Amino acid sequence: MAIAENIIFLKSTLSWTLRAGCFIHFFHSNIYEFKETRGESMLPTLNFKNDYVHCLKSYKYGRGCEIGDMVVALKPTDPDQRVCKRITGMAGDVVLIDPSSGSLDKYKHHDNRNNAAATAQSAATAAAETVKDAFNRYIVVPEGHVWVTGDNLSHSLDSRTYSVMPMGLIKGKIIAANDLNEDYRTWWGFRWMENTFVKETK
Amino acid sequence: MFSEKTVQTLRFTLKTSLIFLTWVPVIYTFNEHVCYISKVEGSSMKPTFNPSSTKSDFVLLWKWNLKPNLNINDVILLRSPINPEKIYAKRIKGLQGDKIQTRYPYPKQSVLIPRNHLWVEGDNIHSIDSNNFGPVSNGLVIGKACYIIFPFSRFGPIPDGGRECRESKLRNFNQDKESQVV
Repeated sequence: MAIAENIIFLKSTLSWTLRAGCFIHFFHSNIYEFKETRGESMLPTLNFKNDYVHCLKSYKYGRGCEIGDMVVALKPTDPDQRVCKRITGMAGDVVLIDPSSGSLDKYKHHDNRNNAAATAQSAATAAAETVKDAFNRYIVVPEGHVWVTGDNLSHSLDSRTYSVMPMGLIKGKIIAANDLNEDYRTWWGFRWMENTFVKETK
Repeated sequence: MFSEKTVQTLRFTLKTSLIFLTWVPVIYTFNEHVCYISKVEGSSMKPTFNPSSTKSDFVLLWKWNLKPNLNINDVILLRSPINPEKIYAKRIKGLQGDKIQTRYPYPKQSVLIPRNHLWVEGDNIHSIDSNNFGPVSNGLVIGKACYIIFPFSRFGPIPDGGRECRESKLRNFNQDKESQVV
């Protein structure tokens, strides 16, 4: 009899563990998640380690996301990884891709070559060279996509590398963060994550 | 107020429904990560799906261990890159690193598929596919359609369809044809 009781107990424990685990998974993928972020790409907004974010999942697939929001998304070039970036361009916006992608030296070099061989080169080639210039490369964000960048532009792998990101990869929006490097006196470094987008005023 | 029997029935009903409710997340998780039966609408996968265009097909969608199992000519369901609320059924026509001969609306003649991206096309030529929106990320794939479940007349694995558009294979095909002619 004892064995039978043990088996029943084991079965019920396993079954409740499964149900509880699945409930937590459902909660984490559809309602809310509290998770650690790593990496330097969001400095100084988020610390590079031990920083935990409060993430609302009702914003998944970019529902209701706006320019300036911080989102968690799957990396387009490696969907096993999740990245945390800020939306800096919505569908229809014209975005300057990356003014830092070409160094100033290169810019100069191009200029010199153009001047020296101006007679030999056709106007079309010169125009193509100008278009290639980093300061003059723009993209119109297509429908259903967003342009994302990290806050730490010099140390971030983002849309400047993998181009526009489909909204279907967005998993949620970050509304607040806790820096667990701090102690209880500051509520473990709790702060709201604000939309940093500033509208141009004239 | 209530008779003994009504109270008992009520209690039993309440208990059963609560127990059932605790299983809902399990069903959700299973449908989200293992397998799911999905309805396919629209004509983009004609004649593989919905050949009659009056009724919709139901397919068995496999989601477990998906990433290493995406091969050429598999039919997948993916979240549309144009509108994330829409789901497309398309056939994989190119994997990462393949060079693809594109079709009309695409601005370039051939395209190299980036890392962890796929080239997808509908079996019907009138379909909104990678020729419109380019290679899609693996992360948008929801599942792989393995079997047609309903209508029962076409029950079974999904037949092949579409065209070959990988440049490497096309070259082989052309060479074969040339050698046959000679």
